[in-house]
Amino acid sequence: MAELLEVRQVSRRFYKGRSLVTAVNGVSFSLGRGEVLGIVGESGSGKTTLIKMVTRLLEADEGEILLEGEDITRAAGAGLRKARRQMQLVFQTPQDSFDPRQTLGRGILEGMVNNGVPRREAERRLPELLRQCGLSPDYARRYPYQVSGGECQRAAIARAVAVEPALLICDEATSALDVTVQAQVMALLEQLRRERGMAILFICHDLALVQQFCHRVLVLHRGKVVEEGTPDQVILHPKSDYTRTLVDAAL
Amino acid sequence: MEQKRRRPLRGVTLRLALCALLTGLILLVAVFAPLLTPYDPYAQDMSAALQAPSAAHLLGTDTYGRDVLSRVIMGARTSVFSSLALVAIICVGGSFLGVLCGWLGGKVDTVVMRLSDLFLAFPGMVFAIAVAGLIGGGMVNAVIALAAISWPKYTRLARGQTLAVKSAPYITAAVMANNTPLQIIFRHILPNIAGPLLVTAALDIGTMMMELAGLSFLNLGAQPPTAEWGSMMSKGRSMIQTSPWVVLGPGFAIFLTVLVFNFLGDTLRDYLDPKRRGVRSE
Ligand SMILES: Nc1ncnc2c1ncn2[C@@H]1O[C@H](COP(=O)(O)OP(=O)(O)OP(=O)(O)O)[C@@H](O)[C@H]1O
Ligand SMILES: [Mg+2]
Repeated sequence: MAELLEVRQVSRRFYKGRSLVTAVNGVSFSLGRGEVLGIVGESGSGKTTLIKMVTRLLEADEGEILLEGEDITRAAGAGLRKARRQMQLVFQTPQDSFDPRQTLGRGILEGMVNNGVPRREAERRLPELLRQCGLSPDYARRYPYQVSGGECQRAAIARAVAVEPALLICDEATSALDVTVQAQVMALLEQLRRERGMAILFICHDLALVQQFCHRVLVLHRGKVVEEGTPDQVILHPKSDYTRTLVDAAL
Repeated sequence: MEQKRRRPLRGVTLRLALCALLTGLILLVAVFAPLLTPYDPYAQDMSAALQAPSAAHLLGTDTYGRDVLSRVIMGARTSVFSSLALVAIICVGGSFLGVLCGWLGGKVDTVVMRLSDLFLAFPGMVFAIAVAGLIGGGMVNAVIALAAISWPKYTRLARGQTLAVKSAPYITAAVMANNTPLQIIFRHILPNIAGPLLVTAALDIGTMMMELAGLSFLNLGAQPPTAEWGSMMSKGRSMIQTSPWVVLGPGFAIFLTVLVFNFLGDTLRDYLDPKRRGVRSE
């Protein structure tokens, strides 16, 4: 069986003024089912650009992206919709990731309904889904500004897992939360991963969290993969100079 | 699904209720004008020409002996409805173009924006006068002329607002939730940019009423004998010394109506202020 996600030599350049900057430069990696892959790297190293290409929010200039063995690099229409159902995003700023004019419940139901779950059925599932994510069902009626950041992130996770994706992508999903809430959200992610067998792409600045949570780590520097391995290999015995500076800076 | 809680009317909400009441009143007068006029606004009676205000004619009579109050009431129809129609046209049309530009970007954006620059660079009223002169007078043509020069404001506003909202994570989330572009525009973009557009529109009603009256004043809007405030003032302007009531009646009507619509716009702006978001029930 093919890997869940396979990224081959993707690159992306942007114009910054007149000059062309390479944000992601020939990055390749793969991700198995149920695996947790951490991506670390300093600000501007291309992490967000990389996952935007994976989710096809941004076109890759070069390279291929395969999801469950299917090339989705140029997918459109139904093919793209199918791919997006398989991979869901959790954002850094939970409150901004819900429409301020809609309740959390409406935001969560939207994806389910768009992906073919009958509305009645989706509404029936909602309370249990919220409960699984550690929220009481009445949070469905609240607006994003009526809940805390941690609660909102739980709702965002509920929204992401509601469509039963095979891959959850967290772009610094815990960075905006304080340490105790961060631990709770991590525990929730780990629990959902075990229950549902989802793979997780975990972008994070916090090396300690990565070490604790990820099966494998990718170190990105100026758009290139400089190191890849298990957290122990990468964090405890870094091979590249850049990783060493990153680890030293974190300690 | 969401519960609506009743709140006591206070501050801005109270002001908004007041504005709604006054606006409603104006609209009622406009709608039921034929039932409210004490005299036939078009019946001429030369023997009763240019009578000063009295118990019989509260606002006096004009050169043809027509009751000014009746004509002011009847004129509410023409003036209010044409202003509302004009603002509706430019707000909906202009905003549609703006959202399209903001969402699509690229060539569409460039072309429409250059076009709007072109229209903004023209001295508006002069252009409207030229257009009205070209296609002829009449209220419909006056509305068309003013619409032609007034849409860019909405297009620019809607475009800027769309660009600001478009980059928000909740729009990305909506994309990932497999919404179609139309669903994203109607469910997530329009509701989030409607506030500033509505405020602009409400404030524009007064302005447009003045400009329409201005065109009518120049004989490029409503044609006689149609009762319309601007043209009534125009016809009466030579008598402002001798029979000021002929001008004061419609003048005061314009003044009051513009005041109410501006009050509505200002109040709407305060009401929709994002800082109040936390206390609004929806
Ligand atoms: N839309 C864009 N237009 C121009 N340049 C961009 C765009 N998006 C990203 N970049 C550039 O690409 C590079 C990588 O950005 P990216 O957001 O992927 O970094 P990141 O690793 O996610 O950083 P952070 O940790 O701060 O989120 C940066 O130099 C950024 O300025
Ligand atoms: Mg980023």
